[in-house]
Amino acid sequence: MNQMSIHRDGSVEPPTPTPTPTPVLELDRASVVFPSGPPWRRRRVPAMREVTLQVSAGETLGVVGESGSGKTTTAMVALGLRRPTTGVVRFEGASMPRRRRALAGRMQVVLQHPQWSLDPRMRVGRSVAEPLVVAERLARRAANTTSGAINGSSSGSITDAVAVMLEKVGLDASVAKRHPHELSGGQRQRVAIARALITRPRFVVFDEAVSALDVSVQAQILNLVVDVQAEYGFGALFISHDLGAVRYVAHRIAVMRHGCVVETADTETFYRTPEHEYSRQLLEAL
Amino acid sequence: MKRLDWLSRCGLICLMVLVAAAVAGWFGLAGDPAAIDGDRLRPPGAAAWLGTDDLGRSLLPRLLEGIGATLLLSSLAVLVTAVVSTALGIVAGYVGGAVNEAVLRLVEVLYAFPSIVLAILVAAVVGPGRPAAMAAIVLVTIPLMTRLVRAAAATVASRDYITSAVVSGVGMPTMLVRHVLPNVGGTIAVQGTYALSIGILVEGGLSFLGLGVQPPQASLGVLIAQGGIYMVAAPWLVIAPGVVLVLAILSINVLGDGLRDRLEPREARSLT
Amino acid sequence: MNQLTPAEPVVVARDLVVDYLAAHGPVRALDGVDLAVDAGETVGVVGESGSGKSTLGAALGRLLPSRAERRHGSMHVAGHSVFDLAPQPLRQLRRDQLGFVFQDPIGALDPTMRVGAQVRRALRGRQPSPRRSTRDAVAALLDQVRLRDPARVARAYPHQLSGGMAQRVALAMAMAVQPRVLVADEPTAALDSQVRDEVLDTILALTRAAGTTVLWLSHDLNAVARRCARVVVMYGGRVVEDGPAHAVLARPAHPYTHALASSAPSHARPGERLTPIPGRPPLLAGPAPGCAFAERCRFVVDRCATERPPLARVNGQAVLCHRAEELRSTAALPLPARPTDIPAEIGGGR
Repeated sequence: MNQMSIHRDGSVEPPTPTPTPTPVLELDRASVVFPSGPPWRRRRVPAMREVTLQVSAGETLGVVGESGSGKTTTAMVALGLRRPTTGVVRFEGASMPRRRRALAGRMQVVLQHPQWSLDPRMRVGRSVAEPLVVAERLARRAANTTSGAINGSSSGSITDAVAVMLEKVGLDASVAKRHPHELSGGQRQRVAIARALITRPRFVVFDEAVSALDVSVQAQILNLVVDVQAEYGFGALFISHDLGAVRYVAHRIAVMRHGCVVETADTETFYRTPEHEYSRQLLEAL
Repeated sequence: MKRLDWLSRCGLICLMVLVAAAVAGWFGLAGDPAAIDGDRLRPPGAAAWLGTDDLGRSLLPRLLEGIGATLLLSSLAVLVTAVVSTALGIVAGYVGGAVNEAVLRLVEVLYAFPSIVLAILVAAVVGPGRPAAMAAIVLVTIPLMTRLVRAAAATVASRDYITSAVVSGVGMPTMLVRHVLPNVGGTIAVQGTYALSIGILVEGGLSFLGLGVQPPQASLGVLIAQGGIYMVAAPWLVIAPGVVLVLAILSINVLGDGLRDRLEPREARSLT
Repeated sequence: MNQLTPAEPVVVARDLVVDYLAAHGPVRALDGVDLAVDAGETVGVVGESGSGKSTLGAALGRLLPSRAERRHGSMHVAGHSVFDLAPQPLRQLRRDQLGFVFQDPIGALDPTMRVGAQVRRALRGRQPSPRRSTRDAVAALLDQVRLRDPARVARAYPHQLSGGMAQRVALAMAMAVQPRVLVADEPTAALDSQVRDEVLDTILALTRAAGTTVLWLSHDLNAVARRCARVVVMYGGRVVEDGPAHAVLARPAHPYTHALASSAPSHARPGERLTPIPGRPPLLAGPAPGCAFAERCRFVVDRCATERPPLARVNGQAVLCHRAEELRSTAALPLPARPTDIPAEIGGGR
């Protein structure tokens, strides 16, 4: 399955992003193997086979594939939540730090299930503020150990930041006082996006972020993703089984199957005729 | 928000009446439990509402003392259980891996003993008395509660908001306290009530066997044990504490069901 | 389509109104549903969450939750008025005439029972084919839903199955009695996308072979239109558009259907922005005074808010819209040309 990787990166970039020399995120021949079964009969199940991907600042790389194709594992590896068995992951040119906290605030994620994207016991405002609070606490701690100079923000400015962010994603600032169960699925995904963007991350993963939403709401969230990406210029990995959604938000698309990237091409190609037969099947199924 | 249904509310009221009775007994409102009135084995009547026992002590104050002793002892024990189980369950459920395995195996060993055998074992080691009863209740209730808290914590750990908090750099202690604990709080409350009813039962059983609370101190188990001797001649001696024991356990269980329906509406009713 | 079967429609809903009793007052789930489905038809019922499609599906077997109440109208299935049946005939109707497949397949199976035993239960009361043991009957049923190793699946417990396998088992159980009507409520929503197509193919092949009428409830207009001959679009507890799939998709007659179709990302052309439907679906407390879509509609006029739209016929479609005729004649509802347009024969013929 491995021989079909077709890379056509950098040939024709879509108009918006100007690719920086170092990609924000880079997977270099990353493979992941899961052990499976009891210890005495352990089998090794490959989930990712030598996946090579690059995401530049301001660019959205779409990853499309069936479940079991390894796209969620790819997301976990890109987020540093799982180490690749072999291969390298680089974030802003440096290899992934051993401790995830070193990346706090610079990398965020928006996940699939609107009903679980926010802690049901927390008010929306606190959920949105959390990444910022954590990042500032860590920054202050780092600053304290090196020098005394800090410019920590007060709780007032955090509240303001939350309000600004909520309005940015099309919600009223008063939503901050509500609990997640008082919001609709689409509103919760908006809040999840606000939460992800509040630290101005360099890299954001959207893992099936619209899949569980009603079709009419999907369009709203997809538009929001396109808009905030254009505004904040982060690099994004947009993962979905739905080629239609991926094609709409991504600048380039990687097609995954059985743990391999079988085709990487500009989005344009996926409106016409992709090269790989499997990509064509996906297109026809739309 | 949703309120408790009428059955659970009955349970709550019944439990509150029992607690009030115990408090009344504590302040001696029903008389001195140790005082000897005279006649032995007198049937219930105006002088002694619930009759007198084999030493001529009025049963009512002794019953109130017994309720208080049983409830207090079981509650304290369940509190210990709740703290231990929550700590073990949350860490095992969230961290997973080897920690999870270790906790599960430990709990399974405890679970393998029939509860009354375990209780007798504890009493044999610690020596009969209140501490033995408490330790027995703790050991009997820990396995079930730990397992359920662990399962709830494991479910919470797989939720999207946990993953996104990890990505944001939230550390483990914060994660456990801010995110996991509040979301398993319902399970802890519900299982705590069930543990309380099991605790009352264990106390009753141990004291009945003479391994728990020791006479002349009263507890529901002690009263039933003592009354059992005169079951034919003076049935009220065993009926009164027996009824109270059943009432206490029933009311706690229906209260637990109500709490579960309210706090864990997604859980299937058939699980316990 | 329906002109081939002159017999009575097998499912008939007449002005069906169902309310849910919530703590803060009633919530209207169905606001006067009119629907007739002929025997053997495959109907896709499309609607967003809250549109009432699941309530309609449950109403077919009177499987509504206890806090739901029928306020008005009737539902006939195979000639029986479902809401007027006594408990015994109702059970009989559910058992012999109706099959249900729900969203969560593993939750639909009893976790404590082996799959084979559960399927056998579904067969109970049915005369097994002569000289065939029930074990064979179970295996045959599981084989029919294209499970690869029926004997192994029969021995398994539900939690040992994948979602797709469990849904096939649920389908086998629903089809065990060869029901007249199968209600499939988002049968693939909880499944992986790869398995989705296979399970849908199995459902449709099996029901076609058995002559079973299918009501497939889904939120995905495109998916439904690809597989069903007829599409019924629900909004605000009413059927707002009803017609042949290819026609509904190619020339939607109701503004809502049009908005739904154009908000699908697979419709967008490169560089084109999606037009989401503004606002939110209504939460009705009683009968909608006018058209439930009025607030979100681009073509709204004064009477939309105050006057309930009557049924209009536009080409082959039945539409609940005051301006249906007018919008059609002015071609105000164009759809972006799709790269892969659905040929009429896929939707139309069978």
